[in-house]
Amino acid sequence: MKSTRTLGAGMGLVLALGAITGPAAAQDDWPSEPIHFIIGYPAGSSPDTMGRIVAEGLEASLGQPVVIENKPGAGGAIGVQTMLQGDPAYTFGITTNGPMTTSPKLIPDLTYTVEEDIAPIALIGTSPLILTLNSDAEADTLEDFIAWAKSAPGEITYGSIGQGSGSHLTTELFAATAGVEMLHIPFASFAEVTNSILGQEINAAFMAPSGALAQFKAGNLKILGISSAESSPLAPDVPPIAGTAGMPDDFRAELWIAAIGNSETSPEIIEKLNAEIDAVLATDEAKEKMLAIGWQAQGGSTADLAERIEKDTGVWGAVLEKAGLLPN
Amino acid sequence: MNTLDGLIYGLGVATQPVVLFYCFFGVFLGTFIGVLPGVGALAAISLLLPITFYMPPEAALVMLAGVYYGAQYGGSIASILLRLPGTPQSAVTALEGYPLARQGKAGAALFVAMSSSFIGSILGIAILVLFAPLLAQIGTKFGAAEYFSMMLLGLVAASTVGSEAPAKAMAMVVVGMILGCVGADVNSGALRFTFGQTELLDGVNLVALAMGLFGISEVISNVRTSGARKVEEKVGPKDLLRERRQLKRVKFSILRGTGLGAFFGALPGTGGTIATFLSYAVERKVSRHPEEFGKGAVEGIAGPESANNSAAITAFIPTLTLGIPGDVIMALMLGAMIIHGVQPGPLMLVERPEMFWGLIASFGIGNLFLIVLNLPLIGIWVALLRIPFSYLYPAITVFVCLGVYSVRGSAFDVMSVVFIGAFGYIMALMRFNPALLLLGFVLGPLIETNLRRALLLSRGDLLVFFERPISAVFLSATILLIGWGVFTSLRKIRRPVRQEAGE
Repeated sequence: MKSTRTLGAGMGLVLALGAITGPAAAQDDWPSEPIHFIIGYPAGSSPDTMGRIVAEGLEASLGQPVVIENKPGAGGAIGVQTMLQGDPAYTFGITTNGPMTTSPKLIPDLTYTVEEDIAPIALIGTSPLILTLNSDAEADTLEDFIAWAKSAPGEITYGSIGQGSGSHLTTELFAATAGVEMLHIPFASFAEVTNSILGQEINAAFMAPSGALAQFKAGNLKILGISSAESSPLAPDVPPIAGTAGMPDDFRAELWIAAIGNSETSPEIIEKLNAEIDAVLATDEAKEKMLAIGWQAQGGSTADLAERIEKDTGVWGAVLEKAGLLPN
Repeated sequence: MNTLDGLIYGLGVATQPVVLFYCFFGVFLGTFIGVLPGVGALAAISLLLPITFYMPPEAALVMLAGVYYGAQYGGSIASILLRLPGTPQSAVTALEGYPLARQGKAGAALFVAMSSSFIGSILGIAILVLFAPLLAQIGTKFGAAEYFSMMLLGLVAASTVGSEAPAKAMAMVVVGMILGCVGADVNSGALRFTFGQTELLDGVNLVALAMGLFGISEVISNVRTSGARKVEEKVGPKDLLRERRQLKRVKFSILRGTGLGAFFGALPGTGGTIATFLSYAVERKVSRHPEEFGKGAVEGIAGPESANNSAAITAFIPTLTLGIPGDVIMALMLGAMIIHGVQPGPLMLVERPEMFWGLIASFGIGNLFLIVLNLPLIGIWVALLRIPFSYLYPAITVFVCLGVYSVRGSAFDVMSVVFIGAFGYIMALMRFNPALLLLGFVLGPLIETNLRRALLLSRGDLLVFFERPISAVFLSATILLIGWGVFTSLRKIRRPVRQEAGE
């Protein structure tokens, strides 16, 4: 009996020691096993491709395989929930702005809160949206468009890729800032929005740059401006909306993709990953690959990302409330 | 560059050895992926996509497209032999194909399916080459009102699919539509029937539904009845040669199916599904032996299979010429093209003619590969049925679960397939038609979204459905169809009376 108890106590001591030394050891030789990237979007989507570009660079610099797992659903929130169930030291997430800013307000059943459960790692890339009009529309410039909208409140119809989506909230932010009122027609994808605007069914839409530019070059629609603060390398000839036609200089609405961790992940690991991702994003190869699919590589500190999350949560939260989209 | 020059140029691109190799590899893989229950083209293409980053763009896109249309061939094999359709389209093939397989005529059913697929694809390619700009233009004329009316017509026409009582058919469509409501509503963003499950926010998984209703319920009923069925003797080349006469019987079915598929396939949305169900309904209406339907009428395989495959080809029209993908698989193809530096859309023909014509030429070559590959394989596929059931059915169950998991890596979906399977078995006992449930599931949410979108745009004016000409034509056809249905059922009631009077 006694010997068993001693053995038990001994094992307890070993376990306790393990618990004390575990994290420290993990930081020194981290990563000592494969890293998992949980992506809340299907393979072939922008966040997936961006995540894979980063993963490829990390594999080279960290010397461990980076396993990509796609867990699409609920606008990316399923991916965040799945990530939080994994080992905090080896499971990270690739997310868009939605699950970090608006989803917790729109979906009451989410099992995470951004403040308590998420550790921001790095901003990977941003993509602006381009304000487009159908080719028959009675406006050619942003001034014309705002004047038209002011003269006919609620008459102009605009498409988006769904209630609470980036394209919807960007248009609502634009409308609120310009002091106009437009009718929202939700669609399920940019493909449907494009079809509708080409068929002269809706008047306007904020669209992804690559698709909008291709249609613009073919003369199928008009382009009024881009939602980034400055003109973007994605569409160098498209002027920013900010600062034109009476719009404020700080008007900015961008979609973004970021790497996130669990709030239980040790700060050392977060900082190391941030530095390594930053290095990957600084390479011309990564920049070019991202630009080719319509995204501008970013980078920056974990604090920068935390600040962006906080700021966007405030901006979009106000838009959601004004548009009456918050569930009771 | 005119069409003929373009095609010749494209053939030059598509017959480069490396492109040719990947074309063969793509269709070969597609066939096998299609045969595996639940592992559809979508999962296969998304898994292959990252690998293609390291390939020349022509080869990569030709291969991915090959997987897509190759999977359409393969999908019919599993539906006919084992009643395991992965998509609503192949569920239609199972309606006639599976009864034939149970009668020991699986070889004949597969032969008709393969030949119809091939002819449908080749005619679809011809239509794509000749009428792509025209069909693309028609596509943009389709707004919310047109889609609503078209899908209503599709739903009403297809409700006559089964041979059971109209009330039972309606019940299945309605249950399907209700299941289709699950998830976040596109128009309001409200969450419906999600019961606090984030997994249900995007709705019930279509593959889980199809696999549960057909595959798992079939496994359960075979376990219960010990699965007695006629097993076919070996199928050799001579037997297939004998089946050629079947083609004579179905030649008009194939033409009708191809026409429907090519038209509806070119419309972004669920064109392929509507075309397949419509084709089945049409074949049943025009057949001189409507009583054979449900018991193994080859017309009911030939029409839908050719519709399905020509739609798979013309679905590339809006993707390539407008940059507007019609469904999730096309969206993935579009994504693949963008990753490879090709922007599909109005400028593709000018900027990247080698990709445009190369891809189209590869469709023809790929379909030739498919028919050459698949005809000799029929014998092997049929031999699958000789596997003892004690091995076959557990294996099917495992593959179904793997397939469902492959869609979005969700254990919740695998659990739901079990419940749906049990539900499907109870429905089968009561002789409800699960194909109609799938149709309601796919079309229901689209009908609702487009109805509400059309009314939003018209500010609530219902007349919009009659004022827009294309919509008016579809609505009139729907009303005619309902009228004809009422007329024929009235005649059925009156006929016995008249006969008695004559005696």
